[in-house]
Amino acid sequence: MNGWTGKIVKVDLGRGTQEDVPVSDAARRRYLGGRGLGVRLYADLCPVLTDPLAEENALLFMTGPLTGTLMTSGRTQVISRSPLTGTICDSSSGGSFGAALKGAGIDGLVVQGRAPKPVYLRIHEGGVEVRDAAAFWGLDTQQTQKGLQEEAGGKASVACIGPAGENRVPFAAIMNDKDRAAGRGGLGAVMGAKNLKAVAASGSRPVDIADPAGYKDLASRVDRAVDKNPVTGKSLQVLGTSVLVNIINAHGMYPTENFRRGVFNDAEGTSGEKIAETLLLRQSSCFKCPIGCGRTTRTKDKHGEGPEYETVWAFGANLGISDLAAIAEANYACNELGLDTITMGGTLGCAMELAEAGAWPGGPRWGEAGKLADWVTETAHRRGMGAELALGSKRLAAKYGRPELAMQVKGMEIPAYDPRGAQGMALSYATSNRGGCHMRAYLVAPEVLGHPVFLDRFSTAGKAELVALFQDVSAVVDSAVLCRFLQFAVGISTFAEMLRVVTGLDFGDEELMSVGRRVYTLERLFNNRAGFGRADDTLPPRFFNEEFQTGSSRHRRVRLEEMLDDYYAVRGWDRDGRPRPHTLAELGL
Amino acid sequence: MTGTVAVKFYGLMRRRVGTTGLDVPADDVTVLALLRLAEESAGRAFLDELLDREQGLLAGTIILVNGENVRGGDGLRTRVRAGDKVDLFSPAGGG
Repeated sequence: MNGWTGKIVKVDLGRGTQEDVPVSDAARRRYLGGRGLGVRLYADLCPVLTDPLAEENALLFMTGPLTGTLMTSGRTQVISRSPLTGTICDSSSGGSFGAALKGAGIDGLVVQGRAPKPVYLRIHEGGVEVRDAAAFWGLDTQQTQKGLQEEAGGKASVACIGPAGENRVPFAAIMNDKDRAAGRGGLGAVMGAKNLKAVAASGSRPVDIADPAGYKDLASRVDRAVDKNPVTGKSLQVLGTSVLVNIINAHGMYPTENFRRGVFNDAEGTSGEKIAETLLLRQSSCFKCPIGCGRTTRTKDKHGEGPEYETVWAFGANLGISDLAAIAEANYACNELGLDTITMGGTLGCAMELAEAGAWPGGPRWGEAGKLADWVTETAHRRGMGAELALGSKRLAAKYGRPELAMQVKGMEIPAYDPRGAQGMALSYATSNRGGCHMRAYLVAPEVLGHPVFLDRFSTAGKAELVALFQDVSAVVDSAVLCRFLQFAVGISTFAEMLRVVTGLDFGDEELMSVGRRVYTLERLFNNRAGFGRADDTLPPRFFNEEFQTGSSRHRRVRLEEMLDDYYAVRGWDRDGRPRPHTLAELGL
Repeated sequence: MTGTVAVKFYGLMRRRVGTTGLDVPADDVTVLALLRLAEESAGRAFLDELLDREQGLLAGTIILVNGENVRGGDGLRTRVRAGDKVDLFSPAGGG
């Protein structure tokens, strides 16, 4: 088979059984792989709603038809029900773990059940083995990866959890290839609940290519496009993602102290430009990636990966902290212990506002840079103040009687773009299937960065169509599976061409977009079943009621109601946000 | 006496120009004219980071006059006055 290996293995850790999961050609064409096929299989494997941490919940590690082929194709999509939000969740990670799974001969791995004691899965061309992980339980993600690589003779790519996942912190990450993270949504806690410490994969089976000559030609064209593009060919390489700090701050939408202001006075001191001058050791790259947006950095005492834009913000402006070394070290701690930096920072921001308001007198205080790394460590181990921080912002704010102070959507913390500065981004957050996330539909591209065209960020006109379109394209790229940054350089037609030369299937733009629509709608169906509807497609009241007094997003509020009905209409959903029967029929759902 | 416009450089352009900003003597000029004056003041060419060969704004370039993107106004013909602040960002992206 071209593109796919055709094999998905299901391991039941409770029963100690293994079987192949049958997937039809039609299903592959309709869902591709990665996020799309993963969500489809999840819905089939868990027809009854399950607690995310229950034995019967399924956890999937998925590759796509493009995995292991063209540039940026080493990524993995992890799919399950999120313990943070209760929604369906997929979390994407870079590195080379996806390519290693494919090289071992599988498109995906499904894990169900709970092992009676800690185990890890060793995947190679000979199959899948369940191995004892007692010696690794309690170790951090770096020690675990190092140890398992040694066991595998230095060849394996390892995805694992740290103490946070073991302790089922609902925003625990899964870390692979050192510091790449399936960060958002807490799927590391799902691994922990299964007593699954890690998955170590290796293999060198080549991917069968349908049109080798076309593949070669396309690969060099994409290479040129990425190289020529000023974002992928220059800016991301030299300055990394944190180049956005100054840009978003200059637009007055850089969330400061839990989204109370849109301008951080010391943005410059935590910018990508500053990181390049101070902490940066070298750029780092994922599998077959010429962009290399990753940052390998060092402080006086430590070294590691990051911080990237979201983390600089989450531990910086969001907490009133401008100590770049402290931010970097909190990032290293999250990587080592296995925590999502955005939710960690978002929860701390909420906690600091709770403390200032007197609702949580013992809570953390703004600007306490010296305590950052300790708070991270305490959270991963659920001890001291960390026992409370490990709740995440929604549950924490509710516990202290001020639910409105949690800057979250559907339980997931909102990232580093204040929605009052970009109405399309506001709609994107509100309608995201996994909660407050910028990766479902990155409207910052047209609304701030002018890519692919410049749009008025304060206008709501046409934003409904655009958010739906961006959500669908993102679902395609996540299902293919490639890195979203390629979208700065190439469009949907190129993704269709990639699929054609690799799989031999001619999708065409329209069919490919319908794949994205199908995936997004399927996710929505799951969320509806889990009780999410119109009332949840919203934002914290701050964004509707409070205005900034300074900066270029001052005197603005989110006007969600001007867009939401249009969005549902574009999607073919009813006024409660439920897909209409004709929409389901059209998409074959 | 003519006042000045505060021009700030960010991203890759900052490396090119070698400074974070300049006060450029100018009043009531277009953004394009200001950029040429800034290039003169800096003593280093940097306009190719922002403009294409036809002197149009490169895709992804951001020029803010007092925090407002000139693409939402008159583009390179937007007027700038003494005392204004102009932020220049070469094309960038992230996530």
